[in-house]
Amino acid sequence: MEFDPAIFLALFEEALGYWWVILPAIFLGLIVGAIPGFSAANTIIILLPLAISLPVEIGFVFMIALYASSRMGAGIPAILVNIPGTAGAAATPLDGYPMTQQGRGQQALAISFVSSALGGLLTTILALLAMPWLAEVAFHLHSVEMIVIMLFGVSLIATIAAEDTLKGLIAGFFGLMIGSIGADHVYETPRGTMGFLELYDGVPLIPALVGLFAISEAFSVIDRDSILTERGKVAMRDSGWGPTIEGMQLALSRWWHIIWTSIIGLVIGVIPGAGAAIASFVAYQQSRTYSKMPELYGTGHLEGLIAPESANNGVTSGTLVPLLVIGIPGGATAAIMLVVLQYHGVTMGTELFMEKPELAYLPFTTMAVTYFLMLFTIMPLARYMSRVTVVRTVYMAPLVISFTLVGAFVPREYQFDMLLALIFGVIGYIARKTDYHVAAILIGIILGPLLEGFFIRVMKMHQGDVSALFSSTLGNVLWVCLVANLALPYFMKRRRSKKAAKA
Amino acid sequence: MTVKEGDGLPDEEQEKEKRASLGGDLIIPVSGSIFALYYFTTIWNSPWTAQVSAFFIGAVLIFLSTIITIRIVRAVRAGEAHLNFDHLLAPIDFMGKRIALMALTIAYILGVQWGGFTITTFIFLSLAMLLLNSGKNKKLIFILSLTMALGGWALFIWAFETRFPSGPFENMMKGIL
Repeated sequence: MEFDPAIFLALFEEALGYWWVILPAIFLGLIVGAIPGFSAANTIIILLPLAISLPVEIGFVFMIALYASSRMGAGIPAILVNIPGTAGAAATPLDGYPMTQQGRGQQALAISFVSSALGGLLTTILALLAMPWLAEVAFHLHSVEMIVIMLFGVSLIATIAAEDTLKGLIAGFFGLMIGSIGADHVYETPRGTMGFLELYDGVPLIPALVGLFAISEAFSVIDRDSILTERGKVAMRDSGWGPTIEGMQLALSRWWHIIWTSIIGLVIGVIPGAGAAIASFVAYQQSRTYSKMPELYGTGHLEGLIAPESANNGVTSGTLVPLLVIGIPGGATAAIMLVVLQYHGVTMGTELFMEKPELAYLPFTTMAVTYFLMLFTIMPLARYMSRVTVVRTVYMAPLVISFTLVGAFVPREYQFDMLLALIFGVIGYIARKTDYHVAAILIGIILGPLLEGFFIRVMKMHQGDVSALFSSTLGNVLWVCLVANLALPYFMKRRRSKKAAKA
Repeated sequence: MTVKEGDGLPDEEQEKEKRASLGGDLIIPVSGSIFALYYFTTIWNSPWTAQVSAFFIGAVLIFLSTIITIRIVRAVRAGEAHLNFDHLLAPIDFMGKRIALMALTIAYILGVQWGGFTITTFIFLSLAMLLLNSGKNKKLIFILSLTMALGGWALFIWAFETRFPSGPFENMMKGIL
């Protein structure tokens, strides 16, 4: 796995030759990523007969392009109508949607596309160059380290709670409580399921996402004519190509922010079992912690949009590393890819790199080409996509309700999930109206069960000895970083106030 | 001279206007605490692995909820707030439409498994848009609902072969195509 520029150049050239597979996959991925309930994994399952019947290289290229573009697609409805297409885009509306309400939807889309494409492109190249070392990361990060990494994400609840700490914490713990519903991780004891068999596997994420964001938003906005503010309406009326160019310039001006937040995504993506949702929340939390203007986060702040979008696209290449190097899929989509490749008789691991290096590196070069092509194909669409925000709420709200409810039905095909989405919609509506942050509830629902799973694993392995949480060197380093991270905003705020007082 | 909100109201009513409406603020903490207590009953006799995190999370939730309840009760007793749900229901003149839309949504969820995606979505969209638009633009609403329902069928069911709820229309089209 040594670096040889000539070989890599040839591989990029080969991947570029598959443009006729990549382009349709990009458009399909953007559509399925943008619809809640759909995902790259679902779509590949639907198109499994096609993926299997194609030659292995073409099938692989198709799956990779679809995977990368669906990640970017998930951010589009999150920004425009406050509906994240997947859990990985759940942190995107925190700043993306306020930008839309201000009439900056087109600009926000351009920022999201540049951050996603550059973040994805950069991390793909990094993954390609540093694959052996990144594979080591997956070996060194065990349950203890994962607990600390997840706590970085959970601590975002405290960050969100900055405006009204008590309400933010209640929302977060309410979410964690909901996330605890389902059978326990060891003995499968049903907990808090109210007798519903459909809840034994825990609260399904898509209905929670659809309800908390889409349904509650639809019921909240119907008393207004538009989701846009008055200034936003004026801004949208006068928009041409300017906001797209401006958005690109703004995103490029924060190139360093794109780099480091996408690397967070890459590292988290490498860990099997972690995912885009964790990465985007952690990146958002880190971005806010180290920002000079943390108070602007949540109001339509540029860096608040860049961080989750770069990070969740950084995850995409990260999940491929354990798949290719050790044969362990880093996520659901990677697992389905593994099934397709195994059907074709491809064995993962060192053997693949020795015997078929062109196939081993193809997913990374394809992903890089996909992100490169996406920049040019999707960017001009930002102007037209953003027009959706001028649709009157009397038409928009029923469309959002019906299509997202059916989206909640799709993953498990339970009518129960549609009802569950409606219940979450009511919870989200109450939370919005009474200033309990829906994002804090969602963080609890997403990260709660994962955190509990890793915690129980550590406790079982160490016979209930809590000191095991501090038993690894890397884990202890991460604990120190976490404490420093939580304390830092306090000290930075104090420093700023002192400076302001002196001035 | 600028006219401020509340100008022209009697003093007593102006005072009431200033008071915060905090009844809605209690819904999430109270329902969260009730759920936490119910949750405890389901794990009382379970192994410690099933209890450990839930007891911690539930206890913190109940503790925080108690604090906010005390905060709200103190504000009410001090005359700074009242326990109604005005803030949650505002604007009050729109509440009828909101309740009707909720009823339509429930009917849509219950009906979609019998009527299938296309027909039920068309009916839901038409009725919901007519409701929200106070019966205006009937032609536009009819065309829009029909286009979206058929477009949804074509994209999701026909093109992607997604297993959306099936009904008479989907079965008929399956037979034809």
